[in-house]
Amino acid sequence: MADRGLETSQPVDLSRHPSGIVPTLQNIVSTVNLDCKLDLKAIALQARNAEYNPKRFAAVIMRIREPKTTALIFASGKMVCTGAKSEAQSKLAARKYARIIQKLGFPAKFKDFKIQNIVGSCDVKFPIRLEGLALTHNAFSSYEPEIFPGLIYRMKQPKIVLLIFVSGKIVLTGAKVRDETYTAFENIYPVLTEYRRLL
Amino acid sequence: MELVEARAGIGRSEEKMATFELYRRSTIGMCLTETLDEMVSNGTLSPELAIQVLVQFDKSMTEALESQVKSKVSIKGHLHTYRFCDNVWTFILQDAVFKNEEGQENVGRVKIVACDSKLLSQ
Repeated sequence: MADRGLETSQPVDLSRHPSGIVPTLQNIVSTVNLDCKLDLKAIALQARNAEYNPKRFAAVIMRIREPKTTALIFASGKMVCTGAKSEAQSKLAARKYARIIQKLGFPAKFKDFKIQNIVGSCDVKFPIRLEGLALTHNAFSSYEPEIFPGLIYRMKQPKIVLLIFVSGKIVLTGAKVRDETYTAFENIYPVLTEYRRLL
Repeated sequence: MELVEARAGIGRSEEKMATFELYRRSTIGMCLTETLDEMVSNGTLSPELAIQVLVQFDKSMTEALESQVKSKVSIKGHLHTYRFCDNVWTFILQDAVFKNEEGQENVGRVKIVACDSKLLSQ
């Protein structure tokens, strides 16, 4: 019971995670303003691992291997960093991209860094009766199995969207800080146990 | 292993038919360019005609590779660097394996420059 975290072998802090399950962070999206105009074509030509196809998308798409992330770099100097597995890794990656831009000769700053979204997931390891859940929580739930197999649960407090699957796999998105992800999961967990499908 | 260097770009001849110039850096293209240079400098060929020959070479290479070459090669390796700019893909592979019907060859480092041939017909 204690070892429900996927990678960590440390015991779960039950005061913080009464369910005994800690959602794993899967993706962090952050933004930062490099605060200078950028010549995207010059960047695409000089930097490694860059794509620039202005006919399709008005940003340079750049990737680095460590932390494994993708950045969208716009001519305005605004940048979006995606793919990191933690807030710190997202910030480190954004700094690395800013450094690359600086090395290409642009006076890049690092202004207004902000985490915009945190996506986490976990597995409660029992099947869930989504129809039942959707009926009693209809104010928050949208379940249309012919369109999407998961139940979309829009929690109000914290404001988090959960995708709940029959398999017991859960995706939590919309958090700005990881505690919102954790709180949302602890809120939903008792409800999920209530709609556990008995085999 | 040597890094194979190539340049790619779309040129436009007088007839406004677009061609890729990337085959000019191949052995056969280099030889042709050298010969044309020589002929232009000793006056046996006008520079305009030399350019026209090169443009024809671009067209003929594209056509020949499309219609006369049937063998296929697969290239597999660790992608060190990639770039997509001006509709040209550039890949640098490390420890690549080139495979065809006759066998395979290992290459330590290779640069691939690729253009979309669909752009020519537009």
